[in-house]
Amino acid sequence: MFKLEEILNILSMLILISAFILVANKRVNSYIKTFRLQSMLLAAAAGTLGIYHMAAERKFDSAIIMCLLIILLKVIFIPGMLNRICKRVEYKVEKDFFINIPISIIICCGLAILVWYVISLIPDIKGAYEIMFLTNSISLVMIGLFFMISRKKAIGQIIGFLVIENGMFMAALLTTFGMPMIVEIGIFFDVLAAVLIMGVFVFRINESFDSIDIDKLRNLRG
Amino acid sequence: MPLDDIALFSGYEYIFAALLILYLSGALLSLLVCRSQKGSNAVANVAAAAASLTGIIFCVCKLLIYNGRSFDINLKTGIYPISISFHIDNLSAFFVLVISLLAFVASIYSMGYLKHYYNSRNIGVFGFLYNLFIASMIMVVTSGNIFFFLVAWEIMSMVSYFLVVFENEKPETQRAGTIYIIMTHIGTAFIIAAFVLIYQYTGSASFAEINASGIPYAVKNVIFIFSLIGFGTKAGIIPLHIWLPKAHPAAPGNISALMSGVMIKTAAYGIIRIVFDILGGGYLWWGTAILLLGGISAIVGIAFAFMEIDIKKLLAYSSVENMGIIFIGIGLSSIACSNGNTVLAVFSLTASLLHIFNHSVFKGLLFLGAGSVHYSTGTRNMERLGGLIRKMPYTAMFFLAGALSISALPPFNGFVSEWAIYQALFASAGTGGSWMKIIIIVTAALLAIAGVLAAASFIKTFGTAFLALPRTSAAEEAKEAPRTMLAGMGILAALCLAAGIFPVHLLKLLDGINREMLNASIFQGAAGYSSLVLHSYEGNTSISPAALAIIGLLLIPAVLLAVRYMSKNSSFRNYGTWDCGYRRLDSRMQYTATGFSKPVRIVFRAFYRPQRELQIERGSSRYFFKRARYKVSTVSVFEKYLYEPIVRSVVNFARRMRLLIQTGSIHTYLIYIFVVVIAMLIYYARA
Repeated sequence: MFKLEEILNILSMLILISAFILVANKRVNSYIKTFRLQSMLLAAAAGTLGIYHMAAERKFDSAIIMCLLIILLKVIFIPGMLNRICKRVEYKVEKDFFINIPISIIICCGLAILVWYVISLIPDIKGAYEIMFLTNSISLVMIGLFFMISRKKAIGQIIGFLVIENGMFMAALLTTFGMPMIVEIGIFFDVLAAVLIMGVFVFRINESFDSIDIDKLRNLRG
Repeated sequence: MPLDDIALFSGYEYIFAALLILYLSGALLSLLVCRSQKGSNAVANVAAAAASLTGIIFCVCKLLIYNGRSFDINLKTGIYPISISFHIDNLSAFFVLVISLLAFVASIYSMGYLKHYYNSRNIGVFGFLYNLFIASMIMVVTSGNIFFFLVAWEIMSMVSYFLVVFENEKPETQRAGTIYIIMTHIGTAFIIAAFVLIYQYTGSASFAEINASGIPYAVKNVIFIFSLIGFGTKAGIIPLHIWLPKAHPAAPGNISALMSGVMIKTAAYGIIRIVFDILGGGYLWWGTAILLLGGISAIVGIAFAFMEIDIKKLLAYSSVENMGIIFIGIGLSSIACSNGNTVLAVFSLTASLLHIFNHSVFKGLLFLGAGSVHYSTGTRNMERLGGLIRKMPYTAMFFLAGALSISALPPFNGFVSEWAIYQALFASAGTGGSWMKIIIIVTAALLAIAGVLAAASFIKTFGTAFLALPRTSAAEEAKEAPRTMLAGMGILAALCLAAGIFPVHLLKLLDGINREMLNASIFQGAAGYSSLVLHSYEGNTSISPAALAIIGLLLIPAVLLAVRYMSKNSSFRNYGTWDCGYRRLDSRMQYTATGFSKPVRIVFRAFYRPQRELQIERGSSRYFFKRARYKVSTVSVFEKYLYEPIVRSVVNFARRMRLLIQTGSIHTYLIYIFVVVIAMLIYYARA
């Protein structure tokens, strides 16, 4: 039997690697696939945590609900919706990034190292696993932010936003074993609403500018 | 055994809770029955009147019987240190008394006044806001916790904003509301800063427990400056007054009475609470600053008032003047306190509190009178009124009582408090150093000029609006206001007279505050206070308003008799004077309000910067023109030379910054966030 921390550690590594895969992706369709993979890994982490806790304390744990919600929303619903959006807007294969892939990967490595350095300096965080968990999740947040900057198409920004959210969720899940149920559910609906609104905006942008390249929004400034 | 040891009223604070609940239920019920306009009107005003009557009784008992102790109500909330807590000491009780008194009268008045909003506005909403407004003012002056104070203060500001824009379809009302809410929030920001500083350095949020001795000198000064700016904005102190002459006239009549009568007094409450109660009297320059600001506000406020032809605007500017007078008293008290002269401090503070009470009574009366005039004629421009004393005799009589009070003529109440302020000034002039002497003498001179201009302003108002011939058909067809409105004004007019003749009874109410704030009593310095004679500081001078009133009453028939006797040998002839050969006098030959103020406009033209505009439509000869239009306007100096440059530079700065930072590209914005996050990470890693 593995220790819970070891499994979670592996899963968090995998999630971080999935973020690197995301940065290496060149096409909009593959962003969505990678995001789905990342969410599945996150759901697995929540599920593992829930099962271990239930086994240890012999009572129902809310992490299971979290796991189901992640599967429902972030694995099935949101990627499906983004796929639909992608099909309906004009699809052009063109260079979607400002910074080329190898350099992006190197920058992301730098971000992860910076985060690890900062986390390891905080005196109150002592355990080795905690440092790893926090490093992985905050790196995920930073990489999501970087991903938003480096991509031109609006789908890239939505995915980046969702990755940031995954990072936050992972940090809360792995360090404190989940925030209170009500807070988590609130955040889920927040994300859902944000993605729905952004999806609508993508259509509008596509209609007005014949492209979902958000660099063209520059002339909206008053 | 003293009365407050008797356990008869152990639950005395529940009366206070009951009156707050009464206000709130009045507010909610008025909303519930808003389908029926009469129902809403009755529910809102009866609830407010009942609650404020309870408040009056509660406070008078508190000030007279239970003045040795304070009452607390504490409701804990989940968030430390914010709790809903009331702390009613003598100062709070006095302000609650002032608020309740005017609220009671305004509620009676409103029953009639609201009728002219029937079928055009939602009375239920008005009743809701009205009750909430009074309740919030009471909460401001009774809150025992600085955070709860801020909440109540903010409720008061927001509700009063909604009441200011109650007639929201007029563009000038919207503009007035916008300026009001901007200014009031700037003020609130400073108050929040001051309170947070207090909390940070004392670690206590409760007014009763704050011990300011640990606050460093510099921080105390910062707290004082912030609260002076913050509360000064609400008080309408020059140059932070610009919202006041716009917002008060824009509000309905009963609301402007409450705003001018009591809402701006909450600022005086805040200053007294911070300077005397929390910071313990302060340093010499604090009092000097308050004194100078008060003097400037008094003279500049009344100078602007004299130029106005809108009755309510004139009254609003006159409120600036009176807040200035109140600040003079507070400033003198603070100066005396820092010099260690407790008796003088007590005397000055009492004078100031007396003026707070008196001003709320007569300014409330005058605003209600202006409201009745507006109710009957539909205009507030005095150039369109005239001759109202024949159409509305009672309103005219009550307005005259208010005008005499505000002009500080005995035996009305304005005289008593201004006399006390002057005595405080004279007494202080003898105590300080040579600079202080000069400052105090200059302030006394400013106050004297302000007093003259105030009297002139109200001669102008009363003369133009109520005397002579009606200038327009609206004034000609005016009818006396409904009974409830007259009753409201009548109570205040009677109070003006009563407080003028028996001021010592008021002093007894006020004395508890002195004992609480300064540990001294006004009755200990001067022996021989009888109930009719008022003594000044150390009994150098004394005056008996009642005797003055009696002398005045005796003098009137005496003068009449003397005139009759002296003119016995001359003959009379009834003849239209000044008609210069015309067939009869008409209203166009009358002296106008603008004309009345012209001499002052010429003398002080450097300050007023009057601009004249004359348009003449010529007829057959150059001596007979068909029509002439003369327009004179004065510049509001502070808006033009202080606020406009600030606004312009802020707008320019924003425009330039927008071109520089806001590129319109989402990626740039994202990079900003990214850079900030990285910088924060690195910063905290180093720290």
